[in-house]
Amino acid sequence: MKIMVAVKQVAALDEDFEIRGDGRDVDPDFLIRDLNEWDDFSLEEAVRIKEAAATPIEVVAVSIGPDEVDESLRKCLAKGADRAVRIWDDAVTGSDPIAIARILAAVARRESPDLLFAGVQSSDQSHAATGIAAAAFLGWPHAAVVNHLSWTAGARTAVFRRELEGGLLQEVEIDAPAALTIQLGINTPRYASLRSIKQAAAKPIEVLSLHDVGLGEADVGEAGSSSRVRRMYVPPKGQAQLIEGDAAAQARRLAAIIREFKGDPA
Amino acid sequence: MSRADAVTRILFEEFSAAEVRLFYALGYAAIAVFAYGVFVQIRKYRRGAPLRLEGGLWARTVDMTRTVASHSTLVRRDAAAGGAHRLIFYGFTLLFLGTATITLEYDILGPLFGLRFWHGRFYLVFSLVLDVAGVALIGGLLYMMVRRGWLKPPKLDYARPDRAPGDPDFDRPQYRREDWAFLWILVIIGCTGYLLEGARLVWLAARPEVWDTRWWSPVGALVAEFLRAAGMDAGGAGLLRHGLWWFHGLLALAFIAVIPFTKVKHIFTAAGSLMARDPLAAQRLPRIPESQAEPGVTRITDFTWKQLLNLDACTKCGRCHEACPARAVGAPLSPRDVILSLREFANAALESATLPAAAELDVHGKSPGQVAMETLWSCRTCMACVEICPVAVEHVPIIVQLRRKLVEEGAMDPLLTKTLQTIHKNGNSFGESKRKRAAWTKALPFPVKDARREPVDVLWFVGDYASFDPRNQKVTQTFATLLNEAGVDFGILFEAESNAGNDVRRVGEEGLYEVLANSNIAALAGASFKTIVTTDPHSYNTIRNEYPDFGGTYEIQHYTSFVKQLFADGRLRVAAPLTYRTTFHDPCHLGRFNKGYEAPRDVLKLLGCDLVEMGRTRSNSFCCGAGGGRIWIPDPVGAEKPAQNRIREAAAIPGLEVYVVSCPKDLTMFEDALKTTGNEGKFVVKELIELIREAIPARLPKEITA
Repeated sequence: MKIMVAVKQVAALDEDFEIRGDGRDVDPDFLIRDLNEWDDFSLEEAVRIKEAAATPIEVVAVSIGPDEVDESLRKCLAKGADRAVRIWDDAVTGSDPIAIARILAAVARRESPDLLFAGVQSSDQSHAATGIAAAAFLGWPHAAVVNHLSWTAGARTAVFRRELEGGLLQEVEIDAPAALTIQLGINTPRYASLRSIKQAAAKPIEVLSLHDVGLGEADVGEAGSSSRVRRMYVPPKGQAQLIEGDAAAQARRLAAIIREFKGDPA
Repeated sequence: MSRADAVTRILFEEFSAAEVRLFYALGYAAIAVFAYGVFVQIRKYRRGAPLRLEGGLWARTVDMTRTVASHSTLVRRDAAAGGAHRLIFYGFTLLFLGTATITLEYDILGPLFGLRFWHGRFYLVFSLVLDVAGVALIGGLLYMMVRRGWLKPPKLDYARPDRAPGDPDFDRPQYRREDWAFLWILVIIGCTGYLLEGARLVWLAARPEVWDTRWWSPVGALVAEFLRAAGMDAGGAGLLRHGLWWFHGLLALAFIAVIPFTKVKHIFTAAGSLMARDPLAAQRLPRIPESQAEPGVTRITDFTWKQLLNLDACTKCGRCHEACPARAVGAPLSPRDVILSLREFANAALESATLPAAAELDVHGKSPGQVAMETLWSCRTCMACVEICPVAVEHVPIIVQLRRKLVEEGAMDPLLTKTLQTIHKNGNSFGESKRKRAAWTKALPFPVKDARREPVDVLWFVGDYASFDPRNQKVTQTFATLLNEAGVDFGILFEAESNAGNDVRRVGEEGLYEVLANSNIAALAGASFKTIVTTDPHSYNTIRNEYPDFGGTYEIQHYTSFVKQLFADGRLRVAAPLTYRTTFHDPCHLGRFNKGYEAPRDVLKLLGCDLVEMGRTRSNSFCCGAGGGRIWIPDPVGAEKPAQNRIREAAAIPGLEVYVVSCPKDLTMFEDALKTTGNEGKFVVKELIELIREAIPARLPKEITA
């Protein structure tokens, strides 16, 4: 039995960040990287299923990214993932979530897990698309925003709950293999002590190329994406001013501003 | 036989050979039971983890002997009980030595070498000494009885704050029974000794060598006079003596036999514990050995032999129970009960011939003998317990070792989990960007040197709270200005500085501590400086006492002693003396941890302030509640916080104007407590640095440049 958990190393803005030279992203020097918060929950869910199971279940954490992503994968290993797989090729740069999902689906074909977990979304890009798009590539049933899950190792179906508007809960049965995107709060992720992270450093991280998963450069990056970021920018701050003084003075000032906008003579 | 030779101790006179043989048989049996008990106890300690003590055995013996002989740790904060114990101790020791000397002569030196000294003047002087010793023993015991029976100090109440009434180990009446049995048996042994002596004198009154020297044992002689006055003749006295002899003797032998199985063993375990004392027990926590598979303590056998000995040394005196700030505000923790719980656990699990299965050795949990996580997380690691323990029980490392296991399992408050992750990610507990660490310097009218780029005399290790907390940043800027005006050549590490790790280590996250310590040591290695100064007592403690274990040995001062020197050198001068009525709160990590009691007080006096001490001061200072990572764990709603308890203590000082602190966390904790206790407006909380600033109005800019 196997659960594949797709994880992402997200970027958070440091103080006083700058935009990259090409204007399409933040200068990486000003980014602080960490495991996506949603993925912390989906990994925890997989590890809990594994720990509660009578038969052995393998939890495989999969991420797409350069060397530095190993740090997040190591955290997954520290928290109980059995294996970690990282796929990278410089050509992946510039991929939209659909192209990323194509890679994940390729890895899933190779691993053939019973369930594929992904976070509902990533905290830096907020597409909320990758997990579901991967299911589409695989032709698997899928569900988004799962906040409770029960699956017994080897069972042909899993039962999960989703929260709908108005306080409604929906309970759904889904055929395995399936892809689920996991919502925050489904569990309480465990703490990975520094000691366990250090020990996880001894576990190998399998690094695969695009070719290893049967893809080519044309399948990823801008070439394999149907959307492209045009620019990233901080909008100019709105102009606001506080009008001080008593009610009469405030009214006079307000009238003057209106006249000014209308172009009336003062 | 000369007259002098005839004056001697009457031993087995008029006993049949069978009786003497029976007595010896019982004596050997008592010693055998004692020896077996000692074996069982030593086997128990040896089931703990190995530990090599630093320092020589001789120095440790001398140190222990000095402590025991002077009773210096016993008279602290309880002079009456300490004094009474001194009487019991010396009384008992002299009587024991006296009896041992008799055995030495009668059973060993006499028969083997014909050496006999128990005669004449030597005997008489010894007889007098032992009589006085008996009075001391009984007097001390009677006071202890009055104390337990009538005075009933709260610290002797065995009810536990971490258990509910009805729990099997809530107030442990068996402890009370043992206490009273111990006192009564010793009192009866002492009293029957005198009665026996008096009866013997009456019985042998016809012998001048006995009767004429009777006042060398004055209490016995008084008893004899009393017995004669009551109409007892020699025959009756002989019978009484014979019966009492056996009663007294059997009781004494029984006492010896039960020593290793009862609280009486503290005679040995307390001495052993004092010998094994680590003077930096709380200041410098132990590293996790490379060979250790799991961090911290899960099973009772994970404790070192010394810690198991610590458990047995505890005499339930309640000094730690009384001093603990968590206990004082009703948290489910008493250091005494952590120790006693683990002791019960160790006795149940480790005294049997075979070691129980590993699963039965887990000390974490809520069953009797186990320690609950709520208890462990209540601890502020303020060291009040370790500091006051008369027998060198080291509670703080025990608690931190247990916490290490909880951290590994993630069994902690979610906010603490979050904080640890934040510290790992950003190097500070505020979740701020590393780049912002030195943002406070931007408001200064002068540049602060980057110690990574140019050599400085003083490297200022700023610390998290002083760097990021907005209220403390003002103090930090003031201190920088003072250093600048005093012409001190100083610099900081800017974003290369990380959280010093003191509290992370006390939380029990040793792996993260190692990362922080190594990172700071690497940053310090890249700077050139003569001495480190910090305003943060927590950073001060770990850099001073713990970084050396990681290869970072520095000269470091807390700012209070550094500033005192600046005054002494005339580099700072009080221009406008203050007249405030102040009180001073000793920060745990400056005072108890590092004995920095005087410098802040000296500075306060230099400034002209009137210093009124609170009741709990210096070594007995009452923790603000922030230590041991508790600043990152929310306090229970509605319950009193240690800082509030402390502010109420200060508020009782008539006319108090300023509550002076010298620790960034104290400033945060006590300003909050001032408001929440409704004392705002009555007095203020200030950093000593702020008072210094007030007494030295800023010089004009041209003077700075001059």
